[in-house]
Amino acid sequence: MKPKIGIYGFSGCWGEQIVILNCEDELMDLFGAVDIVDFLGGSSVNDTVSRLLIAFVEGSIANAREEAALRKVRDRSGLLVACGSCACFGGVAAMDARSPRAEVIRQVYGKNGPAASWDIGPHGPLSDFVKVDLNIPGCPIEKNEFLRVVSSLLNGDVPLMPAYPVCLECKMRENECLLIKRGLPCAGPVTVAGCNARCPGYNIACIGCRGPVDEANMGSIEKILEQKEYELDEIRRKLRTFAAPFLDRTESRG
Amino acid sequence: MTRTISVDHLARVEGHGGITVVLEGDEVRKVDFDIFEGIRLFEGLIRGRMMEDVTQIVSRICAICSTNHTITSLHALENALGILVTPQTRRLRDLAYQGANIESHALHVFVLGLPDLMGHSSVISLAGVIPDAVKIALRLKKLGNTIQEIVGGRAVHPVNYVIGGFGRVPSADELLSLRPQIQKGLEDCRQAIEVLRSVPIPNFVNEPIRCAAIAPEDEAFFFGNTIEVLDGGVRTRIPVGDYRKFTNEHLVPHSHAKHSFYEGRSYMVGALPRLTLNGDRIAGLARKAWEELNFAVPSSNILMNNIAQVIEMVYSVEHALHLVEEILDQGIVEEAPPPYKPHACAGAAATEVPRGTLFYSYEIDSEGRIAAADVITPTAQNLSNAEEQLVATVKQGLGAGASDSIIEQRLAIVARAYDPCISCSVHMVRA
Repeated sequence: MKPKIGIYGFSGCWGEQIVILNCEDELMDLFGAVDIVDFLGGSSVNDTVSRLLIAFVEGSIANAREEAALRKVRDRSGLLVACGSCACFGGVAAMDARSPRAEVIRQVYGKNGPAASWDIGPHGPLSDFVKVDLNIPGCPIEKNEFLRVVSSLLNGDVPLMPAYPVCLECKMRENECLLIKRGLPCAGPVTVAGCNARCPGYNIACIGCRGPVDEANMGSIEKILEQKEYELDEIRRKLRTFAAPFLDRTESRG
Repeated sequence: MTRTISVDHLARVEGHGGITVVLEGDEVRKVDFDIFEGIRLFEGLIRGRMMEDVTQIVSRICAICSTNHTITSLHALENALGILVTPQTRRLRDLAYQGANIESHALHVFVLGLPDLMGHSSVISLAGVIPDAVKIALRLKKLGNTIQEIVGGRAVHPVNYVIGGFGRVPSADELLSLRPQIQKGLEDCRQAIEVLRSVPIPNFVNEPIRCAAIAPEDEAFFFGNTIEVLDGGVRTRIPVGDYRKFTNEHLVPHSHAKHSFYEGRSYMVGALPRLTLNGDRIAGLARKAWEELNFAVPSSNILMNNIAQVIEMVYSVEHALHLVEEILDQGIVEEAPPPYKPHACAGAAATEVPRGTLFYSYEIDSEGRIAAADVITPTAQNLSNAEEQLVATVKQGLGAGASDSIIEQRLAIVARAYDPCISCSVHMVRA
């Protein structure tokens, strides 16, 4: 019998499910290798009870309904893999706003506000609620990294994930350094690799969409950018666009 | 006796939504298109951020149309700053739009929509029956992604677009590599049309649809500065800058997305309205698809939106080839984006994206920070219209003696025909 897997999306842009569906060349093989039994984004008939080998989960958790659904997925899954920066770190919906959340809601919905019945909590990563076995970071995830993780897990291996920053891949591509040479606010030194330094390859400074690398030294990058005359508040908001809740817990200011 | 028909969690759509119908006997009391995706408050979050940083953030409103969110955001910023992009940039953005259209329509028609029309629950089970057709669809989807990757650097959340142009202009070699792939795409379109010829489109709801779309000004079908609304054969024109009169939004308790009205009544945006208003632009193989799939406008069958998407997908493959040839003929130039100085200003823009008209507007302060932002997505605009169609689906189904479970299935099919993008709709809009 083929191993059963489930694919789930909570609050987010659906980017990870789209990247999975974008594996056009490999999709038929994937359908052959696993039984995707629960995938509301792709199927109107789903098995919502049987035991799963792996659950792939994208999106952040923003309300009680989502939290309850996530717990149900955790209970029936051998492995729970957080896919994308919303699921891994909180993502863009959890970034710092200039005003308190109640004020932001007022700015968006007007002074009459949203209905009292709405359940509108802040957005948190999956690990705020359940045990997560593996993070596939990225906004969105990289197709090849996803496929590599799937084949490793199906073969009983522990997937090898990069534990080095974007800078390393950028150097290997022999890109000119956007931070040092051009003085651009590049998040490459504190961002986990795996994208092959995609943005610097287009002369665009890394925006940190893959989230922080292990032991990211946020204090140091802030200092470098301050020396380049960027405002500290601006730098912080920039560096905390994709992983604010995660950084609140792990940040090292060495 | 009161009873409820409900689709608790709509499958095969982007995002989280459901449908609730309350009936008293055969009387429809209430039909709600419930949107319960977590609210993400983008317009509030980007206040105070530098205008150069916001486009990469708002791209995250939606993965499928991230190229479209990105470029529409840039159009609004450029309109505010008074930047005119070069013809090469406009053509390359137009090319990316064709890629987005091909990808999104191939995904919706074949992966999300076709299972409905062929009595399947998913493309996975469909692949067991018509594997060749699914492979054609996946190849077309891939073509759309490849085009977006070559121009934008990534298919989902592109990285290469900046105010005024590109981080790096795509090379002639990269564009040349597209030519054979697009030519293969034309062949795939021919076969896709053959497959779809034999798929009957059900006609269980007949309800006139009030259509709106951008009036194209030049060759670029999807860019323009005026909205047209077609109502009982009469066309009304509204400048994009006056979009608030047009989209006039309301909060409703059952939805985390606001509802749009024009002069107090709902309207639809998307492929069907675009072809209803501007179908005279369709020629070549797309025209052949139009004829062979028995498409006709105006249509009062919302399910024909699926066919309109097929015709547009074919148009986009043809237009992409034309654009690649044209860009290569002119000779690609490595041009830097024009310089600009931040100043207090405001600007709006609209473009036609796969699901309909997308509006962006920004107010920028003297230091180049976002003072206010407003995004109105196609799905948000379509919600009221979709609810009316859902009411008609229930009434016409009951009238024809359909069971509650059949009506429930039909409700899901009608909702999906709009190709709703719920993540988009709950990014939210300021009042």
